Formats: sequence, structure tokens, C-alpha cells
Amino acid sequence: MAKTKEISRRIKSVSNTKKITKAMEMVAAAKMRKAVEAVLKTRTYANLSWETVLHLAKLAEKRDEMSHPLLTKRKEVKKVGLILISSNRGLCGGFNAAVISKVKESIKKHDVDTEIVLVGRKGGILAPQGYHIAAEFEKADLVLSAAETNPIARMATAEYLSGKYDKIMLAYTDFISGVKQEPRVKQLLPVDISAEDQYLGVVGKDEAVGTSKEYIEEKEKKHLQSGEFIYEYAFEPSANEVLDRIVPRLIEVQLYQALLESNASEHSARMTAMHQATEAASDMVSELTLFYNKARQASITAEIAEISAGANALA
Amino acid sequence: MSTDKKTIKFEIVTPERIVLKEEVLQASVPTQSGEITVLPDHIPLVAILRTGVIELKKISGENEVISVSGGFVEVMKNKIVILADTAELAVELDEARIEEAKKKAEEMKKWKDIDAAQFAEISGLIEKQLARSKAVKRWRNLNNIK
Repeated sequence: MAKTKEISRRIKSVSNTKKITKAMEMVAAAKMRKAVEAVLKTRTYANLSWETVLHLAKLAEKRDEMSHPLLTKRKEVKKVGLILISSNRGLCGGFNAAVISKVKESIKKHDVDTEIVLVGRKGGILAPQGYHIAAEFEKADLVLSAAETNPIARMATAEYLSGKYDKIMLAYTDFISGVKQEPRVKQLLPVDISAEDQYLGVVGKDEAVGTSKEYIEEKEKKHLQSGEFIYEYAFEPSANEVLDRIVPRLIEVQLYQALLESNASEHSARMTAMHQATEAASDMVSELTLFYNKARQASITAEIAEISAGANALA
Repeated sequence: MSTDKKTIKFEIVTPERIVLKEEVLQASVPTQSGEITVLPDHIPLVAILRTGVIELKKISGENEVISVSGGFVEVMKNKIVILADTAELAVELDEARIEEAKKKAEEMKKWKDIDAAQFAEISGLIEKQLARSKAVKRWRNLNNIK
């Protein structure tokens, strides 16, 4: 009898857990819909602007008047600033672990003193592991406008210009589809077309826009060359003024888009994780029910055997 | 219209959406140093946009008017990309609502206790509404709608 009671208590607790995970799955699904909508809306803008900036960076390599501190590679990279976008809450499968391990991999590979700027609470686990944390930004659960990320972009740009960092990297999770998300580390500053491909990534993918080196070069051929003659860009009012306005603005856009991508990824990762948890709970309940019935039957059989044995003894 | 006429790929996007993507014959764009008109085979150019009105001439001969506020324009050989902060097609704009918004913004300007940043924001708002109503009027003129 004691055994069946124990099992029925466990069934109850597992089905309660299942209710919770089911509810969380539904909440994550609703949040994901909103986040995905937001991410798709701004993707074209973000990609087109990144394409423009990369193109300008490429041209700047050749033209002196276009030299701009945000486009110029430093000879020696002594310190790198890395912006890590993670989630505030757990229970989202391997979402945080994936982006964090990508960060560790990148730091190990470059072997340069790296300071990390956290956006989202879960990145904090890097602190006790001996990584330097330079700042931690609160991340709102719902991102409504670019005003959310502008302070981060401004800080990153200012600290790059002041010489505190010689490179700014950005680690986030690309939202590819509801079931596929990919952690990425990309170089934000200086804007550099010849940075390794891995760090050139598009924020999201779009058929019409590419930001690989080949694509930019091809674009140049298609739109800037006529026969042997290569056109040069004109700037209005002046190259410096235009770049001063355009580059920081587009860095803001990139950061905002990266945050949106990460949010969409987080919610879909959580939805998947909670869906799996719900399914696992269902399996567990049916298994436990089977045990429960077996135990119940066994105890009934035992009882009948006892009764009949008792009756036999009396007869 | 003859098809061998040179056209420009025109694309205008805002953070919210792709406003328009079309082949056009010419485009007039308000930049900080004055309005420029881009015809096919224009030299490559990058310029800062001013709040104002963009005018397009489509292949069909129709005119399209767009109100924009802030952003950048990148002109390449036979391709224009505009990254605008906000942009609306004149067709989509509702005059009555624009007038109302304009009035509201102007009233806000009269408030006494506002700081410089707020003042700049409100001025920007008024400018945007002005550009919008200008776009509607221009569009009506071009299409002979009263």
C-alpha cells in the first residue's frame, strides 16, 4: 500500500511541473511571435546599412581624405572590448551556454586582453571564471526602440575613440529560424572589410543583401565601374562630416538589430526547451501510471491471496 | 514609354519597413546642402538627408512623392539607396491628421517650462509634419487632384 501512495504522489508532482512548463511554453511562444516580427521588420535596414558602411570602409583604405578613426585599423591591438548579449533568465536550453562558449573560444583564439561588457544577466557567470567584466547593462525584457541600445553603442564608440579599446567585438545569437539559432562573434569597430570572414557576419540573413568581401567587391564592379574607369564617391557636405554622422548611427543600428536577433533566439530557444520539458513530463507521467497500476494490482493480488489463505486455514 | 530608356534602381528603407523599391527615371532628394536631382549615370555620392520631400518619376510617367525625416542617401551608378529614419508615401498620408499633429506640436512649443532638448524634439516634430503636408500638396499638384 505504501508503495502506491508514494507513486501517486510523484505522479501528482510531475503533472504539476508539466502544467508549469506548458504555460511557460505558451508564454515563450507569444513573446517569440512579437520578437520575430520585430527582428524581421528591421533586418533589411540593418543589412543595407551594414553593407554601406563596409563599402565605405573599403573605399577608405585607398583614399586619404576619407580616413576616419572609426574606419582605421590600429597597428597594435592591446585591448579588446567585447559586448556579450545574453538572456536575463534561464530555462532556455543551450541558448546562453552556446553564446558564452563562442565568446570563450574567440578570446582564446586571439589571446589579447579582453574586457567584457554584459548585456543581460546570464553572461555574469563569466566573472567568477576569471574574465574581466567592464560593465553590465540592464536588459529590458521587451525591447521597444533603439533607445534601449544607444547608450551601449555610444559607450563602445567613445571608448574605442579614446583608445581604451583597440577593437570592439559583439557576441550575439543570430535568429535563423524557429528551430535554428546560431551564436556569432562579429567585429563592430573598426569597420573593416578584411576582418576574417567569421567576424563579418550578416545580422540575420537576407537573400538580396550580402556583406561578404566578395559581395562588396562585386557590388563595386557592378555599380561603380564603367569600362576601365572607376568612379569615386563624392560626399556632401564633406567626407569627414558624412562619416562622422553615418558610422556611429549605423553602429547603433547594428547593435539594436543584434539585440533583437538575440531576443528572438532566446524566446524560440525557451519555447523549444519548454516544449521538450512538457513532453518529457508526459512520458514520465504515463510511465509512472503504469508502475502505479502494476503496484496496485500486485497489492490486490497479495490481499486476495492472504484472504483465501486465511479462509483455507479456517476450513 | 520606350523600354530602352535608362532607369535607376531606387530603394528606400526605414527601420520599420521597406517603403518603396522600384525602377525610376529620376529622383529628387533633399540633402543637407540642398536638393539634388539624380538622373541615370549620376556619379557615386553619399550625403546626409534633411527632413523634406522626395520626388520620383516612375517609368510609367507617374510621379511619386515621399516625405522623409533624417537619414542618409547612397547614390551609385544607376542605383539609389536611402536609409531614412522615417518615410511615408504621400498616397498614404491623411491631410486632416497631419494638420492636427502640426497644431498639437506648435502648441507644445508654447509651453513655458521645456528645456533645450525638448524644444529641439518638438521643432523636429513640426518640421516633420510640415514635410508631410508639403508632400501631400506636391503629390496632388503633380497628379491634378484637388
